[in-house]
This record gives sequence, structure tokens and C-alpha cells, in this order.
Amino acid sequence: MKLLVFHIGADRYGLRLRAVLRVLPLMELKKLPMAPDAVAGLMNLHGDPVPVIDLARLGGGAPSAEHFDTRIVVVDYRTPEGASHALGLLAERVAGVQDVSDAALADSGVRAAPFLGQVAGDGAGIVQLIELDQLLPAALRAALFPPALP
Amino acid sequence: MFKDLGIKKKLYFGFGAILSIIVILLVIAYNNFVRLSEANVWDKHTMDVLQVIDSVNVEMLQVQVEARGYYLTGDDTRAARIKTEMADVPAAIKKLQDLTADNPRQVLRFKELENQFHAWIREVIDPQVERRRELGTAPNAADAIGRSAQFQQGSPVSVSIYKVLAEAGAEERKLLAERTTSTNELQQSMVRVLSLGGLICIILGIGICYVLAQAILTPLNNLTHAVNRIAAGEQSARAEIISADELGQVSVEFNRMAQSIQDNQANELAATNLLKSKVDTLLETVSKAASGDLTGQITITGSDAIGQLGNGLAKMFDNLRVLLNNIQKAGIQVTTSATEIAASARQQEATGIEQAQTSVEVLSTTKEISSNTSQLLKTMEDATAVADYTTSATSEAQSNLKRMDQTMQHMVSATDSINAKLAALSEKASNINSVLTTITKVADQTNILSLNAAIEAEKAGEAGRGFSVVATEIRRLADQTSVSTWDIEQMLKEMQSAVSASVMGMDKFSEEIRRSVGEVRLVAEQLSGVMDQVGKLAPQFDVVLQGMQSQAVGAQQITETMMQLNDATQQTVESLKATSEAVHQLQYAAGDLQASVATFAVAV
Repeated sequence: MKLLVFHIGADRYGLRLRAVLRVLPLMELKKLPMAPDAVAGLMNLHGDPVPVIDLARLGGGAPSAEHFDTRIVVVDYRTPEGASHALGLLAERVAGVQDVSDAALADSGVRAAPFLGQVAGDGAGIVQLIELDQLLPAALRAALFPPALP
Repeated sequence: MFKDLGIKKKLYFGFGAILSIIVILLVIAYNNFVRLSEANVWDKHTMDVLQVIDSVNVEMLQVQVEARGYYLTGDDTRAARIKTEMADVPAAIKKLQDLTADNPRQVLRFKELENQFHAWIREVIDPQVERRRELGTAPNAADAIGRSAQFQQGSPVSVSIYKVLAEAGAEERKLLAERTTSTNELQQSMVRVLSLGGLICIILGIGICYVLAQAILTPLNNLTHAVNRIAAGEQSARAEIISADELGQVSVEFNRMAQSIQDNQANELAATNLLKSKVDTLLETVSKAASGDLTGQITITGSDAIGQLGNGLAKMFDNLRVLLNNIQKAGIQVTTSATEIAASARQQEATGIEQAQTSVEVLSTTKEISSNTSQLLKTMEDATAVADYTTSATSEAQSNLKRMDQTMQHMVSATDSINAKLAALSEKASNINSVLTTITKVADQTNILSLNAAIEAEKAGEAGRGFSVVATEIRRLADQTSVSTWDIEQMLKEMQSAVSASVMGMDKFSEEIRRSVGEVRLVAEQLSGVMDQVGKLAPQFDVVLQGMQSQAVGAQQITETMMQLNDATQQTVESLKATSEAVHQLQYAAGDLQASVATFAVAV
């Protein structure tokens, strides 16, 4: 399984490559006043407005620093209702694609943030999976993707 | 006493004496002339008396002549003539009496003469005339008369008359002789008086002249002598005051003037000595200052010119001391700074060399990238062949490919323009940053591209596995490039900061850099747009292939750029060596400055 590896703070996390639509360089985001803290802003993806979540902020840390390798990872976010939305994730130090065998994955065993998944150890340390499904708390999800009106 | 008189009085006195003698002489001469003219009058008077006596004599003879004529002729006319002739005689006698009225003897004599004349007329002439008349025309009448006794014997009266006349004449002649003698004596005495007076006048004149000349010339000579002595430098020389006249006053005033001149000169000498001593004091301090010792204090103050000079010098010395202190401090500071700069320059030089080595490494890495890209291209061609028929969105990708191709062309041209700008900027060390930024951006974009390629490959599933490897390789190379570039960037930043500290005119460059950065940003935006397009077109392998080809070209350009960078780095190292040399010279100069300033002692 291939993971797109990035950092939140000093730690490495991975996104399943299959869920990633594309990786974009850091660009100017339109600020959204009064939006939840984790929302970094709104980006323009070929004319479509796509909300961008700061993963570092979501993890409870300081906002992502704007390094040259700070990227916006566009993922295909599926709501529990089954709707598909493009969602930008602001990630620091996007290291690249790493191949992780399923055998190497193991449960972390610690209950932390709900979107943190399994971990895999390698020579450089530990990579923890990010579970997209669990990424957005319900309130945030509701704020970003309000359920379609009947 | 004569000395006390004024020159005017002396002159009056002398010439008055001469004039008075001349006047006396004139008076004497005038008296003598008067007496001489009186004597002449008397001579003339005597001559008149003698003439009248002669005329009386002649009249008597006329009477006798006429009487004898009558005697002879008996003519009556003759008798009348006797009468007329006889009438003249008493008048002449009367005249004689008048003339000799001052001489009683002559008066008596002429009185007697008159009596005798009348007696002669009465006793002699009248009787005989009467007798002749009686005779009348008788013959021998004249003879009878002549034969008369009386006639024969002559008349005693007439003899007496002649005798009286002769006596009177003798008397007058005697008087005349006496007067002539006295006149001669008078003339002689006058000659004597005039000669003697003239002589006295001359002697007196000479004497007065001598005395006056003495009275005037002696003080003048005295004064002239004193003036000459003063002129010869004898300041104490004074004129001797001989007299109390104007020249004496002049001498007194002259002495006073000489005294005041001497006093003034003494005062001036004292002032000059004081000034000289002050100037010597100042000169001593100034000489010490000239030899570097500025510790001397100016003690000369005051409001006069030398005092002001002293004040000015003191102020100047204070300023000089402060200045030299500052210069000494500045020299030490300059030396310290130069040492620091030298150390910094050495460090920079080392950094530059290191950077040059790194550039070589980067170059080799870039070459590796280039070769890798070539290899990749081959792989890509294979992958393209696989991808062509495995990708479901081939047709869409085809159109995207075309757009991407165009975009890449744009990118190439943009890169060309960057290259052109970079080549233009490559001679300047600061421009390296822009190049590095460009490299970083390209690497960044490559990174993103590779990520997206990997994503697409993943989505392609099994068919994309080969491409996934390629994408991983590209990403690795891009990462390597980024890391190297980052290293270079760090070195460049150090070098730039060091260079900017030591190289003047950096501002100009930085402005150009800013401008270049702006241009690069513009290019970056263009590239971003291009990459956006590329990202959109990413799923297509052909696009990737094209991208790889572009990457190969880009790598080649990077190689060129890096070679230029290398050259620039070499130039930078050379310029840093030159800077180091200049800093050494600066150090020497600072040392010289310190040594020069150290020769001045400024501590007071």
C-alpha cells in the first residue's frame, strides 16, 4: 500500500495514495472569517471552490508553517452519506510516496484523535495513517459540507 | 648778559651801534662842510672889498685924468666930466663902508678916506680947476698950471689916499690868508675824522659780525653736533645750552625731544623683550608639539595680540589632543575592524572554495540527473506504450496532452527567458540566489509532479506500477536537487551576507535582485500556471513523457546554469581574495595610522 507521507509537527503521517486526487503547491487561500479554526481557507481548483483544512490545526497544534514543501493535498472526501467532495488538506513537509506493506501496519493501541489510524515502523521512525473517513468531526463536516437540502 | 639777549635784540644792538657811529660821522662832516662854505662866503666878501677898493682907485685915477684933460684943454665939457667922475667916488666909498661894517679898523680907515677925498677935492681939484678957468683961453695956460708949485710938488692928500687904499687892501689880503689857513686845517681835520670814523666803523662791523656769528653759530653747531651724535646712535647725547635766546630754547626743546625719544625707545625695547619672551615660550611649546609632544601647556594669555595667539594655540592644542585621541581610538578600532574583516574575508574565501566544490558536486549531480532523465526517458517510452492502451481516459488525456505540450512549450520558452536573464545576471554573485530560487521552484514543481505522477500511477493500478517507480525516482532526484540547492542556498546566503558586509554598491545589486525576483516570481507564476496545467494533465503518461523530456532539457539547462554558477563562484572566490588583499592593505594602513598617531604624546 502506498502512502503519501507528510508531517504534522515532527511526526510523520500517511494518507492512502488511493484517496489522493492530486498534490498542489501552496497557494493563496481565500480566508473564511468566522469559520472553525481548522479551516485554512478556500482554494480555487479549476474554478471550483474547495475548502482547505489545516491538518496541523486539526491535530491541535500550531498552524502549518508555509515552507516550500508545505502542500495542499486534494483528497476525495466521502461523507457518511456517501457524497463525494474534493477537500484540500494543508500538510507540512510533504515527503513523498512511501510503500508500506500491509504486514507492517499495526494498531497504535492508543486512543487519540479519531482520524489517527494504524502505524507502521520503518528505519526513519513511525508513520501513522490518517483515516479520511474520520478526519472531520461532525460539526466541522456539517460546516464544510452541509447536507444537501431535501 | 649779551648771551641772554634774543637774536633779534643782538642784531638790533649790533647794527644800531654801526648806524650810530655813521650818524656821528655824518654830523661831524656836515658841520665841517658848513664851516667850509662859510669860509668861502668870507673869501668872496674879501674879494668884493678888494674889487671895490680897486674901483675907488680907478675912479680917483679917472678924476685925475679928466682934471688933467681939462687943464690941458680948458674945455668945459671936460670940467663937466670931472664933476660926474667925482660923483662916483663917494658911492664907492659908501659901498666899502657897508661891506666892512663888521671891521671897525676898516670902518675908521674908510671914514678917513672919505674925509681925505673930500679934502683932496676941495684943496686940490677945485682950486686948480678955478685957476684954469681964470686963465681961460690965455696962451700957455696949461703950461702955467703945470708950472704951478702945487702941481710940481704933487698933492700930499692924494698920496695919503692911495696909501689908505693900499693899507685897506693889505688888511683884506691878510684876512684872506688867515682864512685860507684855517680852511686848510679844517679840511685836514675832516679827512682825519672821516678816515678814523670809517676805520672804526669797519672794525666795529667786523667785531659785531664775529660776535653775532659766534652767538648764532655756536648753539647751532652744538645742536648739529648733538643731532649727529644721536644719528650715530648715541642716545644719551644732549645739546649744551649756551644761551637763553631762541636757539637756547630750541636746544632745550631738542633735549626734551631726545629724552622722550630715548624714553620711548627704552619702553619699546622693554615691550619687545616681553613680546620676545612670550613668543619664545609659545615657540617652545609649538616646537614640542611639532616634534609630536602635545603635552605642553600654553601659559600665555591675555587680551593683546600675543595673548589671543596664546589662547588660540591653547584651544588648537586642546582640539589637536582631542583629535589625536580620537584618531588613536579610531586607529585601534580600524585595526580591530580590519582584523575582523580579514578573518571574515578568509572565512568567506574558505566558504567560497567550499561552495565551488559544492558547485562541482552539484554539477556532477545534475549531470547524473540528466543521465537519469535520459534513462528515465527510455523507461517512459516503454511506459507510454503500456499506458497508451491501459488508460481509460486516453482520449481526454490526448487533448490534455496537447494543451500540456503547449504549456510546456510555454514553460520552455519561459525557462529560456529565465536562462537568458540568469545568463545576464550570472556575472553577479547576488544573482545566484535567483537562479537557486528558480532551481528550487523547478525541483519543487518536479516534486509535486512526481507526487501527482505517483498518485496517477497508483490509480492506474498494476499498469502504472512501472511508472510509479519512475515517479519515485524523479521525486528522489528532485529531493536531492532541493537538498543540494538548499545547501547552496545556505552557503550563498552566508556568502551574500559576508559579501554584502564588505562589498560596496551591493544596494544597487539588491535592487536588481529584487527586480529579478519580481521577474522570477512572474515566471514562477507562469510556471505555476503551467504546472497547474501539467497537474491537470498528469494522468497521461505521454504528458509525463513529455514532462520527462522537458525535465531532461531542464536538467541540461540546470547543468549549464550550474557551470555558470561555478564560474561565478570562481569569480567570487577571486574577488574575495582581492578583498582579502585589500583588507590586508587596510590592516597595514591601520597599523601605520596607529604608529603615526602613537608618535604624538597627548596625555597632559
